[in-house]
Amino acid sequence: MNMDASLITLENVGVAMRSKLHWNSKKFWALQDVSLRLERGMRLGIVGRNGAGKSTLLRVLAGILAPDRGQLRRATMSCQLLSLSVGFMPHLSGRDNAIVSGMMQGLDYRSIVTRLPAVREFSGLGDFFDEPISSYSSGMVLRLGFSVAMQVEPEILLIDEVLAVGDAEFQKKSGDALRQRIHGGTTVVIVSQSNTQIRELCDCALWIDRGTSKMLGGVDEVLAAYRHARESAETA
Amino acid sequence: MQESTQAYGYPPGAARKGMFARVRRSLELVFFLCYAELHAERARAYLGFVWWVLEPAMNMAVLYFVFGVMLRTADAGYVPFLLVGLTVWQWFKSGVSHGGNAIWGNLNLIRQVKLSPLVFPCVQVLADSVKFLYIFALLLVLLWCTGYPPNPTYLGLVPLLLVELVFTLAIAYLVAAVIPLVPDLRFVIDQLLALLMFLSAVMFSADSVPPGIRKLLMFNPIATLVGATRGILLHAQWPNWSELASACAISLLLLVGAIALIRRLAHVYVKQAA
Repeated sequence: MNMDASLITLENVGVAMRSKLHWNSKKFWALQDVSLRLERGMRLGIVGRNGAGKSTLLRVLAGILAPDRGQLRRATMSCQLLSLSVGFMPHLSGRDNAIVSGMMQGLDYRSIVTRLPAVREFSGLGDFFDEPISSYSSGMVLRLGFSVAMQVEPEILLIDEVLAVGDAEFQKKSGDALRQRIHGGTTVVIVSQSNTQIRELCDCALWIDRGTSKMLGGVDEVLAAYRHARESAETA
Repeated sequence: MQESTQAYGYPPGAARKGMFARVRRSLELVFFLCYAELHAERARAYLGFVWWVLEPAMNMAVLYFVFGVMLRTADAGYVPFLLVGLTVWQWFKSGVSHGGNAIWGNLNLIRQVKLSPLVFPCVQVLADSVKFLYIFALLLVLLWCTGYPPNPTYLGLVPLLLVELVFTLAIAYLVAAVIPLVPDLRFVIDQLLALLMFLSAVMFSADSVPPGIRKLLMFNPIATLVGATRGILLHAQWPNWSELASACAISLLLLVGAIALIRRLAHVYVKQAA
């Protein structure tokens, strides 16, 4: 087994969450039994129905959630769950929010400060960059959020449905930047409802159903099996 | 549950280096968020940070009116006595009530990004400490104008305030650790703080309670700190070093315990119901 290539290994991993605040509220298993080996350079798409545990799995891969059963091994590497506008505060300027958000997503102070000109440039905010973001439109906030998130450059990039943001022009710009990152050799895990996107962006796919990993393999193979299962469920 | 971090293909020591970098990054984040917090308060009112001083000054004026003018408290020294006690107490109280809610208030954030929950209470306590310094400066000016001049024992304030910072942080962490698990406790904390205020000899002197209870007060670091600060500012008296040392030991033990507790519970918070 080539250990160098394996970044994260999950063996029969389960994660239990509490659904409500109550003394004896039952735990529910958001993930039941997931096994997965994420290797360096992989572009993995995760498919499954709503509530199958796709986002929970991403948060396990990001190290936010720890498994309650099963085994998880991870190499020492940086990992980012792409989240826009995380930690933004309305009264702070775009510049200060970029610093807060960049640091929360894994950059140290000096790295984010040296990347500020790039954030300002990519976001296209101009002089608004130094204004409080409470004066921004929601599209401008997203542009700033995306521009900061793209500065993190992690070894593993985890994407939950966010593939492009903003108005038509910025959607193209952000989508292109993200595609370039995905095809540039970064290890990527993408959750998407769109089979077209999975086909375009990924080189392998994982199908999970009710918290259980059903199939890991080539994109076409997994998508076909997933579609087949859905069709037979609908006719049944 | 089993989780292991293996540095596949990385030189030995990479994991430790990674931890060092994480701690440094968390501290940088604490300081920047503290700046952001203070900036927020300044931006939220017309008079901005003037309120940090004006609000406690008005509070002091009210107390002066009640005890100094209305009740004509027999002992002329009572008003400064009370003001010193309240200033020291207020720092602890606001640090604990803000810091204590900080993890609970940021649950959404720690569900989205990998962040140590230890960051948030620390930000609040530091922000309250900065505000305290402004208020403390105002108190000193007030005392100098009313016949309590600066004296060499002021040097003793340095260890005293450091111990209070550690104790405040420790209690804030302890409260912050349990509130996400039982949010209902938020309604109890204020009452407990009010009770603790009476047990901290803020409104009265520790010498005026029966000796048995006085011994109990000794175990309360805040009572020790309030008494020692009064000694320095009003009577040019050095602190009782053995009492201060025991307050320091209690504070450090609580701090280490509270940090360990939060680190243990960190993975529980993210799985808690919203």
